[in-house]
Amino acid sequence: MVTTQEKAIAHPVELGDSAIEIKDLVVNYGSKRAVDRLTLSVPKGSVYGFLGPNGAGKTTTIKTLLGFRRPDAGSATVLGYDIVANSVELRARTGYVSEVNSLYDSLTVGQMNDFCRSTARQWNQAAVDRYIKMFNLPEQVRVRQLSKGMGRQLAFSLAMGSDPDLLILDEPTSGLDPIARHELLNRLVGEIASEGKTVFFSSHILSEVEAVADWIGIIKAGHLVVSDELDHLKQNQKVLKLVYTEPPTAQELDVLKAMPGVGRIEQEGRSVRAMVDGDAEALARSIQASGLNLRDIDVVGLNLEDLFLEYMKEDESGY
Amino acid sequence: MAIWLDINPRSGVPLYVQIVGQIRHAIEVGALQAGDQLPTVRQLATELTIAPNTIVKAYNELQTMQLVESRAGVGTVVIASSDEMTRARQVEAIRGRLGAVVRDASGLGVEADVLDAFYADEVERYYGEQGE
Repeated sequence: MVTTQEKAIAHPVELGDSAIEIKDLVVNYGSKRAVDRLTLSVPKGSVYGFLGPNGAGKTTTIKTLLGFRRPDAGSATVLGYDIVANSVELRARTGYVSEVNSLYDSLTVGQMNDFCRSTARQWNQAAVDRYIKMFNLPEQVRVRQLSKGMGRQLAFSLAMGSDPDLLILDEPTSGLDPIARHELLNRLVGEIASEGKTVFFSSHILSEVEAVADWIGIIKAGHLVVSDELDHLKQNQKVLKLVYTEPPTAQELDVLKAMPGVGRIEQEGRSVRAMVDGDAEALARSIQASGLNLRDIDVVGLNLEDLFLEYMKEDESGY
Repeated sequence: MAIWLDINPRSGVPLYVQIVGQIRHAIEVGALQAGDQLPTVRQLATELTIAPNTIVKAYNELQTMQLVESRAGVGTVVIASSDEMTRARQVEAIRGRLGAVVRDASGLGVEADVLDAFYADEVERYYGEQGE
């Protein structure tokens, strides 16, 4: 029987359009601060790529979100559930595939499935069967005999058993060959995200994130560097390449720096590279019209790898 | 269906801009004609392995440009024809020429009301004659 109190806990807090909402989260590992005042929100229905260099705190953030670690400060909700107070509820509604999955080696694929079903609160066997069939996973084979890729596919199939509204994946494609990787990403966008479910996945393979993610977040040393719609970033973060007729003076560079939207500047002889936030084309036109001594001016778009490197550099100078 | 879409995720051009541009081009050259149905969001997401929201964004943009229309129970349907688009581009070009005239006039120091009068005269002369 469900008591009124349990019902109240089971009902998620209304949270608008975010599947995950992290606020000033701090998680320490001994004396090391793994997550440092992280604030981040993941829109419902998005495919969110969570990026950062090794040791940036991606896995720690994910484990904390799932209630496996307690935050030292700050708060977060997942599907409206508080990560500390409602971690059991939260895990029942969230599918999780980690880099190292806790599959029991000596069980067969079928036994592993039975085990998961028996411990789950709700279970959609049809969905699991569909994925197991799709990935051609052999029911009678023991988990230990599966290849790394098959193990990942099994974990993914089982994560779909609870019919989750949110799928959290920690490095879902690491160790997979290109075909298995493409197949997994294809299922993620074609089947999971197309049903309006949210996918939050960490990765350091920028090219795969660039293809499947519509939102990205970059963290470094436990704090957020940027979180935005990827297309929006590509549209608004560009590089302006200027070639002056003579090497620009400090004064000329100051004029450039004072222009609207101009960020970090790099100079090498007569060439100057300026990061621009906003309408770089319009800025290029007004610079051209302003009669600076320029030989050439060019606007260059940035792909995710360029953006990532720019943010890493900007962050170094900013902190 | 979407075989002619050639999307490059590793470019600095936003994905939805690439999709909009290529579908627009397909309509312009007549590869897609009024009444043709675009793939569903899910089909295209699967085919291109890109986030469904990106495709939704591209389709919304095409709808704002009045090139496609979303019909209940049918999906997203092309409504513009290449003739209409050619015409739309020509009209756009005329608008551009008007802009150039105004800029030149301003450069010569012609007052706005004088320019307005010039414009009204020209409109009257041509459209007025036509009406007779």
